[in-house]
Amino acid sequence: MIRKTSQAEWEIGELALKPGLVLSMAFSSLKIRLTRTFLTVLTITTASGFMMYLLTMPRSDDPVDRDGWLLMLGLCLLVCAAGVMNTMLMSVAQRYREIGTMKCLGALDSFVLFSVIAESAIIGAVGSIAGIILGLLITTLIGAAEYGSGMFSYLRFDGMTVKILIVICVGMSLTAMGASIPAWIASKMPPMDAMRGEK
Amino acid sequence: MSSKKKKHKRHGKQQTRAHAPAAKINQALQPEKAKNPPARQPAAGNRSAAAARIDWFSNLNQETEHTVMTRNVSKIYHLGEETVHALDDVSVTIDRGEYISIMGPSGSGKTTLFNIVGALLKPNEGNVFIDEVDVAQLDANELAWLRCRKIGYIFQSYNIVKVFTALENVTLPMLFAGVPPDEAQDRAINILERVGLGDRILHTPKELSGGQQQRVAIARAFANRPAIILADEPTANLDLHTGEEIIHLMKEMNREQGVTVICATHDHKMLDISDRIIWMEDGRVKKIANRDEVKIDIAEMREK
Ligand SMILES: Nc1ncnc2c1ncn2[C@@H]1O[C@H](COP(=O)(O)OP(=O)(O)OP(=O)(O)O)[C@@H](O)[C@H]1O
Ligand SMILES: [Mg+2]
Repeated sequence: MIRKTSQAEWEIGELALKPGLVLSMAFSSLKIRLTRTFLTVLTITTASGFMMYLLTMPRSDDPVDRDGWLLMLGLCLLVCAAGVMNTMLMSVAQRYREIGTMKCLGALDSFVLFSVIAESAIIGAVGSIAGIILGLLITTLIGAAEYGSGMFSYLRFDGMTVKILIVICVGMSLTAMGASIPAWIASKMPPMDAMRGEK
Repeated sequence: MSSKKKKHKRHGKQQTRAHAPAAKINQALQPEKAKNPPARQPAAGNRSAAAARIDWFSNLNQETEHTVMTRNVSKIYHLGEETVHALDDVSVTIDRGEYISIMGPSGSGKTTLFNIVGALLKPNEGNVFIDEVDVAQLDANELAWLRCRKIGYIFQSYNIVKVFTALENVTLPMLFAGVPPDEAQDRAINILERVGLGDRILHTPKELSGGQQQRVAIARAFANRPAIILADEPTANLDLHTGEEIIHLMKEMNREQGVTVICATHDHKMLDISDRIIWMEDGRVKKIANRDEVKIDIAEMREK
């Protein structure tokens, strides 16, 4: 069979990572697992709410008391990070075939990595913002009950920008830490397994 | 960006035959080769350089395009103490536009061959050339590009993303390839219409039958206008009639677009439309039947 060469030469191209696609992937993944997303957001909300509460309530004079609160906050954050990691691991494991298939379609490792990280970053952002609101609410309510109308002289509602930033930073790094291992695992999933075997 | 791109020139048969990590060396040889056409007949010392040049060019034109070429490919799996030769010294050459069926008993290495040809799995030995480029020399990003643009995969279990609509599934590989979203969507709608799903583009896999899901998978595989379609038992989960429809659809697309189709199947009825059939057994190529032999083989099998 004689065929003329239509293309004398061809180029191997490069694929670029598209941030827009990463984000929409992350959003759709969150939307699909809405219940679990909501629960994970809730744990972040609780932890960062607790943190905000501690930052705004009057400081305890008793150092033992203060250490106790800090210890509790630490534990709370730790549990939270573990929870995020668990959620993301499950989310990734559930999508084993899907990720393998997408790699066959041309998904880069970095695409998979960043879409998992973006997914949990969104959880982190939403959770900490909700937590800030919750924490402030609780502080105000308790303050009102305890100190009445003079509460604003007791409560530490000063330097709020810094406090809000601290809580958001802690919340986001918590979820980033929790997601890093699952994201890495997902990005290294081989494309071939989509080919083999049944569901 | 463009400086990072490698140019892979097609090279003559002689070079590709001399296999091994030769592809890199071949590249180095390219400029020289362009200047001095290889003296194919050293004895003809009296022939002018011009004549030799013409000879070389005509040789180039007569050469068929080998879309897929495997050279002495072996794949070994270690299962505890046991070693399984999933593929054992497989050399096949497949030309552009061919429709190839791969047959063989379960465990004969069909899927393994697909994975290796599809650049999803590295062989222990031997080389794979896709459009005459040695796959082994590509880095991760280039491999992703190859999978995205050059190869379309169709799986036995469809593997369309469950949470996406048919349209989104077909659009995805085009978005990976960098096609603007609007254009990708238009093209996806066209292809879905072509495979007969024009009225179901917004359905998710849950709302589609197996045959329809496989049509989505076919549309997706063809989305980036690949050179090669790899289909591993695409009809195994479908009833006979639907399976036949799917195979005929693939054949039509093969004819329309000149895409090379390589399809593993257990179904003898599907063989009539193949250009060639590769029979595998125990990880080896047992026999390659050409188009004219195909009919005879099928007749023989039906008698049995
Ligand atoms: N990941 C693996 N680890 C170990 N052995 C493997 C692996 N994949 C395949 N094999 C072995 O390699 C051989 C070839 O398997 P392969 O899946 O390629 O066969 P096949 O021809 O596709 O079979 P089928 O028709 O059942 O799909 C088999 O003996 C199988 O057990
Ligand atoms: Mg198989």
